Amino acid sequence: MKKKGVGIGSTFYGTGYGNGFPDVSRAKAVLKEDGKVAVHVGATEVGQGSKTIMSQMAAEVMSIPLNDIIFICEDTKNMPDSGTAAASRQTYNTGNAIKLACEDLRKKVIENAFKELKLNSSVGLTLKNGEIYLKTLPSKNISLKELALCLLKNKELPLIGEGSFTAQTIEMDEETGQGAPYWPYTFNVYGVIVEVDTETGLIDIIKAVCAQDVGKAINPEMIEGQMDGGFAMGLGYSIYEDLGLKEGKMKNKNFTNYLIPTALDVPELEKFIIEDPESTGPFGAKGIGEPVMLGVAPAVLNAIYDAVGVRITQVPVTPDRLLRALKEERRE
Amino acid sequence: MKDINLKINGKSYRLSTNEDMRLIDVLRDELGLLGSKEGCGEGECGACTILMEGRTVNACMVMAFQTDEKEIITIEGLSNGEQLHPIQQAFIEIGAVQCGFCTPGMILSAKAILDKDTNPTREMIRQGISGNLCRCTGYAKIVDAIELAGKLLRNGGNNCEA
Repeated sequence: MKKKGVGIGSTFYGTGYGNGFPDVSRAKAVLKEDGKVAVHVGATEVGQGSKTIMSQMAAEVMSIPLNDIIFICEDTKNMPDSGTAAASRQTYNTGNAIKLACEDLRKKVIENAFKELKLNSSVGLTLKNGEIYLKTLPSKNISLKELALCLLKNKELPLIGEGSFTAQTIEMDEETGQGAPYWPYTFNVYGVIVEVDTETGLIDIIKAVCAQDVGKAINPEMIEGQMDGGFAMGLGYSIYEDLGLKEGKMKNKNFTNYLIPTALDVPELEKFIIEDPESTGPFGAKGIGEPVMLGVAPAVLNAIYDAVGVRITQVPVTPDRLLRALKEERRE
Repeated sequence: MKDINLKINGKSYRLSTNEDMRLIDVLRDELGLLGSKEGCGEGECGACTILMEGRTVNACMVMAFQTDEKEIITIEGLSNGEQLHPIQQAFIEIGAVQCGFCTPGMILSAKAILDKDTNPTREMIRQGISGNLCRCTGYAKIVDAIELAGKLLRNGGNNCEA
């Protein structure tokens, strides 16, 4: 018999290394002779999109087109350390470092512009759309490209902005459980409808939704990609992927029996991006890399419980595990 | 040793191959066509998918001697110089690439789908790429990209704004 059930799984997740461990990101922003800005940062791009969103952040602070940002990462000779691409920390931590580095460069650009424009001070000077100009008299202006050329002539290049960001976390007191082990936290909720076949033990996901708190979406398309990916991974974890560990040895070490969801196994996920800017985040953004997969298994297991009244406590819920649990339930 | 003639991406090659050599070895090690990736090496993950005589095969499961007189298309054969193939353009446009390891194989599976029908249903697309495992994307954006690629092909170009 086929039985339907609904389940939700809600999580909150502290990003970053946490628990008082020094979590430091550094970045450098360099004005090049052609007016472009090179961002040097030791943040590894592994497909999550850090290069894209961090270039966006730099372009936003410098107020220049995205194509004028030269993003240089993954070569430790040419960049300061920004920690690991782990703990869902690059958007928040390294994003903050890049923002600080670009703000530092921006300040230096304006200071140099006031000298070139022969003004009394830098008060009222601003940088927008690649131009530095006086707000009260916009005809007093110089483009970033022209300024770079002047600085090159005066042998004042490269102009370098630096940024370092250390996340604020406090180790938890083991006795009292008090402390502030993580900051910030990311929240999400998954909802799924499953259909359980009580004859075969097969589970079909009929519908799935995810609402993900992101602080501020720097690149909504990429966030959706992360949500889809986290859902697929969480789904595999819930009902397919079983290493079959026995006495320390893996039984299922090939894709023939270690089953990763295929395009036919993953249903369409309805996605909601929830924006609630984090005041300490770069433009309000937070990390979502790991959080997007956490709520899937609880939601699926709750839906199975709703469908057949059996509380499963081990993943993955393979057909044989589910059938065994149903049999035990009938016996009791 | 066995001498074989094969045509890869429109170019003819004459090669002397060992009997135990697979097509993926010929492509990557002999010809330096590194676009095709070797994932599992046992025909399960689809990372090494290429087109042989217009059909998708896993290059790790085809012996080199079996490719004699065959026509092969790899990811390197898709773009026309700087001009990307509509499927490649669509993958970029939609954001269907994350780590990129499955992408070359995925794009060739997409080509096999769209060569048959430029207006496939999402179910047909999912069926067509079900032999290509992806660990990052959850497939949704890939399905979207193949839909868009079909539209671009029907409009006869790779202009995503049109």
